Amino acid sequence: MSNRRPYVRSMDGWWKRDAYFIRYMAREVTAVFVAAYAIVLLFGLVRLAQGEAAFNGWLQYLKTPWMLVFHLIVLGTFVYHTWSWFNIMPKTMPIMFVGGKRVQPGTITGSGIAAAVVACLAVLLIVKGMHP
Amino acid sequence: MEVFQADVAIVGAGGAGLRAAIAVAETDPKLKIALISKVYPMRSHTVAAEGGAAGVTRTDDSLDYHFDDTVHGGDWLCEQDVVEYFVAHAHEELVQMEHWGCPWSRNDDGHVNVRAFGGMKIERTWFAADKSGFHMLHTLFQTSIKYPSIKRFDEYFCTDLMVEDGRCQGVLAIQIATGEFTLIEAKAVIIATGGAGRVFRENTNGGIVTGDGMALAYRHGVPLRDMEFMQYHPTCMPGTGLLFTEACRGEGGFLLNKDGYRYLQDYGLGPAEPTPRNKAMELGPRDRLSQAFWHEKKKGRTIEGPHGAVVNLDLRHLGAAKLHERLPLICELAEEFLGVDPAHTPIPVLPAVHYTMGGITADGKTAAPLPGLYSVGECSSVGIHGANRLGSNSLTELIVFGKVAGVEAAKFAKSMAISNPGAIKKQAEAAQARALGVVTRSDGKERLAVLRTEMAQSMEDGCGIYRLQADMQATCDKLRELRERYKNLKIDDHSKVYNTEWLLGIELGYLLEVAEAIIYSALNRKESRGSHQRLDGYEKRDDVNFLKHSLAYYTGDGAPRIEYGEVKITKSKPGTRAYGAAGEKAAAEEREREGAGNG
Amino acid sequence: MADAEKIIEIEVLRYRPEQDKEPVLQTYKVPFTDDMSVLQGLQYIKDYLDGTVSFRWSCRMAICGSCGMMIEGKPKLSCKTFLREYYPQGLRVEALAHLPIERDLVVDAADFVAKLERIKPYIIPKEARTLEQGEYLQTPQQRDMYEQFSSCINCMLCYAACPQYGLNPKFTGPGVLALLHRYNADSRDGGQDERMKLGYADEGFWGCTAVGYCSEVCPKGVDPANAINQNKMNSAINYFTRFVTPGRADK
Repeated sequence: MSNRRPYVRSMDGWWKRDAYFIRYMAREVTAVFVAAYAIVLLFGLVRLAQGEAAFNGWLQYLKTPWMLVFHLIVLGTFVYHTWSWFNIMPKTMPIMFVGGKRVQPGTITGSGIAAAVVACLAVLLIVKGMHP
Repeated sequence: MEVFQADVAIVGAGGAGLRAAIAVAETDPKLKIALISKVYPMRSHTVAAEGGAAGVTRTDDSLDYHFDDTVHGGDWLCEQDVVEYFVAHAHEELVQMEHWGCPWSRNDDGHVNVRAFGGMKIERTWFAADKSGFHMLHTLFQTSIKYPSIKRFDEYFCTDLMVEDGRCQGVLAIQIATGEFTLIEAKAVIIATGGAGRVFRENTNGGIVTGDGMALAYRHGVPLRDMEFMQYHPTCMPGTGLLFTEACRGEGGFLLNKDGYRYLQDYGLGPAEPTPRNKAMELGPRDRLSQAFWHEKKKGRTIEGPHGAVVNLDLRHLGAAKLHERLPLICELAEEFLGVDPAHTPIPVLPAVHYTMGGITADGKTAAPLPGLYSVGECSSVGIHGANRLGSNSLTELIVFGKVAGVEAAKFAKSMAISNPGAIKKQAEAAQARALGVVTRSDGKERLAVLRTEMAQSMEDGCGIYRLQADMQATCDKLRELRERYKNLKIDDHSKVYNTEWLLGIELGYLLEVAEAIIYSALNRKESRGSHQRLDGYEKRDDVNFLKHSLAYYTGDGAPRIEYGEVKITKSKPGTRAYGAAGEKAAAEEREREGAGNG
Repeated sequence: MADAEKIIEIEVLRYRPEQDKEPVLQTYKVPFTDDMSVLQGLQYIKDYLDGTVSFRWSCRMAICGSCGMMIEGKPKLSCKTFLREYYPQGLRVEALAHLPIERDLVVDAADFVAKLERIKPYIIPKEARTLEQGEYLQTPQQRDMYEQFSSCINCMLCYAACPQYGLNPKFTGPGVLALLHRYNADSRDGGQDERMKLGYADEGFWGCTAVGYCSEVCPKGVDPANAINQNKMNSAINYFTRFVTPGRADK
C-alpha cells in the first residue's frame, strides 16, 4: 500500500492569479463588444429595409448622448482588441522566410497594425468623399 | 517487495543506457528490457554536453588520424584495439542518430557540418549548435518510445546489484515516489550511470553525477580502472563550475591572461595565430590547457575575481551573429549567470572537474569481469580515453558502445536463465534492510552536507590539476575519517514519499567509496601522465613501470587494493605528446621515419 | 565570496502527504550572495536548515528541465532565477501550478510523460534509408522549420502557465503539442497523418484558446503557442477538405 497522495490544487479564480491572465480575459471580453456592435449594425440594416423614415430614426438614435458614450467605449475596446489580436497573430502563422531571413514576430504584429490603421483611414476618406 | 522479471536490466537512462536499450530491442523484440533511472531520462547528464560528437567525416580525414589523436591524447594509456573499433564505427552511429532525427547542424548543401575541437588534427565533430548532448539525449529518449519491449522505471533509485551463482542477475531499486522497493530480476545487467564528478568541489557536473554504478560494481568485486584520471575542463564558470564548451575555442575563441596575452604560447602550444589551427594553442588538449592555467596562476598572471583566479575567454572577434548561431547556449549562460554579453566582453573562466576517464573495468565489448554485468558510458572504462579524453569522443562513445553493450547483453541473456530465484530474493531483502538502515535510524549526528562538502574540498586539495604525495596522503586520511563518520549519518527525513534526503544519504556512500578509489589510484601512480600530473619527483611519464592500467579493488571498510593491468598496444608505440608547431614537427619526423622504414 | 552576506526570507509551500492534509507555508531565513540562484537558496535550506524539503534539480544550467517551480507566482527554472531579484522583500516558492503536488516542490509528471509518449515523438521516415546511404539531406532552412520546437527541455513551465490545462487535464498541452509539430515539420518525417489524429482531436490543438502565456514563460524560446495555433489552420483546412476530397472522408 503506497503512501502517495498527490494533491490537486483548485482552479477557482485562476484568472486573477496573474496579470497576463487578466489581460487575456480582457481580450476575450472585448470580443463581446465586437459582437454587440455587430448587432447594432444589423439593427440598422433591418431599419433600412423598413424604409427611409425608419433608417433616419435609427441614425437619430445613434446621435443621442447615451449612444455617443457607447460608441466611445466600443472604440476603446476595438482598439484593444485589434492590438491584442495582432499581438497574438505571429503565434498563429507558420514560420516564414523572406529573402532567406526569418520574419520576426514584431514585423508581423507591426504590419498587421499598420494594415489596420491604413484600412481605417481609407474607410474614413471614402466616407468623407461621399459626404463632402 | 514487487518483483519484475526482465531479460536485460539497464541502470541509467542517459545517452548510453538509452542507446543500449534500443540495441537490445532491435536485436530481439521478444527480450524484456527494464530501463531503470533515478531521474526521468531527459534529465540525465548527457543533456549538458555541449560541443559535439566525433566521427571521421571529411574526405581529408582518416580513421588513422582519429585513432592517433585519441591515443596520443590519452597519453598511450588507451586500449588500442578498442580505439580502432571505436573510430571505425563512429561515423555510422552518428548517421544512425541523424536517421532518428537528431537536429545536427548542416552545411548549405544539406550535409552534416563538422567543427574543430581540441587535440584534433582534422575537423570531425558533429554538432547541434552548442546543445549536442541535449539533442542526442532527447532524440534517443523519444526514439526509445517506439519500442514496446522497453519498460521504463523512471525515478527508480538503484541500491544494489544481485549477484548469485557468480553472475549478476538483477538489481534492487527504490521507487522514489512511494519509497517502496522493487526487485528487478535480469539475466544480464548493463550499468550506464555516468561519471563521478561530484566527488570534487568545483565541477561541471549535475547533482546526479554521483558514481552510483561505479560504486555498485566496485562493492561486488569488479575493479575500477584508471580512476586517478579526472579531466579538468579549462573553460568553466567561476563559482558554479558550469561549462563553456570547447567549441568556443573550436569556433576561434582566445584564452587571455590579465595582460590580454594569449599565454598558451608559453606552454609549448604556439605559435599564436589569429585563426584557429588544429592541435595548437586554444585547440590543444584539455589536460595541457588546464595545466597552463595552473602555471599562469603561480606566475601571478591570472585575474582575481570574486571566486578566485580566472582567465578570459575572448569571443568578441567572432561577432554577435556567429555567436548566436553556433554558441547560443554559451551566450545565454554568460548573459544570465554572469551578466556578460560575449559579443562585447570576454567571459571569465577557470578549470573545473569535468569528466571521469576511468570507471568500471570493461573489455572491448563492455563486459565486466563479473559475468552478466556490462558497463557503458562515463561510468565504464572500456579503454578509449586513456589518461586524458579527447573532447567530443565521449558523446560518440555513448552510441558506439551503447549499441555494443545492448547487443552483447542481449546475446548473454538469451543464453541464460535466472538461477536460484529464492536466493536472489533473500539477497534483495538483505539489501533492502541495508538501504532502510540509512533512513530509519534516528540517533545519527553527522550532517550529510557537511560530510559531502568536506569530501569535495579534500579531493580538490589532494587530487587537483597537480598532485603531491603529502596532499594525497592527507586526502586518503580524510576519506578514512569521513567513511567512519558516515556510519553516524543524521537524516532529518524519515518519510517514504519522495524522500530525497534518503537518496542523498545513499549517494554519499557511493561518492566516498569512489573518491577513495580515485585518490588511492593517484597516490600509487608514481609518474605523470595525461591528467595525472605530479610535482614530487615524478614529473615524467614512466613507461617502464606505469604503462599500465590501475585497478582499484574494494576491500570493505579498508582502503582499496591497487593492482595493475596490461595496456593493449597494437600499432602506436608510446611517443612524445607534442602540440602546436612542435607537434607538427614531430609528426613530420615520424612520417619520415616511417617512410624510411617502409623503403 | 566577496560581498557581505545578506539574509533573505524564502517561503516554501510544503506538502508532505504522510503528515499534511493540505499544503502549508513554511518560512526559512537564508544567507545569500548576489550570484546565488533560488535553487542554491533551496539547497542551503536542505543542507543546513531542514533536510526534509524536497525538490528536483540536476544540471544547474537550465538544460535538464528538472527545477521548474512557481517563484512569486510565476513559473520559472529556479537555477536561473536569482535571489537578489527578490531582496529585500523575500520570495515564495511553490510547486508548478496545474500539476498535482507529489510532495513539497515536486510535482507528479506522469501525465505529461504519458502524453509525450502518445504523440509518436520520433521520425516516421518519409522514405527509408540505410546507414550506408548516409545522412538525409536537410538544408539549414529546412532545419530551421523545426529546430526551435526541438529545443523543449520538458520542464513543464508551459503547463503551469496554461489555464486550459489546469481546467481540463485531458488537454494535451503546449509542450507536447509543440513536440508533435516538431516532428511534423521535419523534412525527414512522413508521419503527419498518424500524429494529426491526436492533434485534431478535442484534446489536441483546439483545446488551446491562444492565451499565449506558455510561450512567454518558456525558458528556451520554443514558442508552443505558435506550434499549436498554426496547426489550427491546418486542422480547419483538413476538416473542410475531407468533404470534398474523394477517399479522405474516413480520415
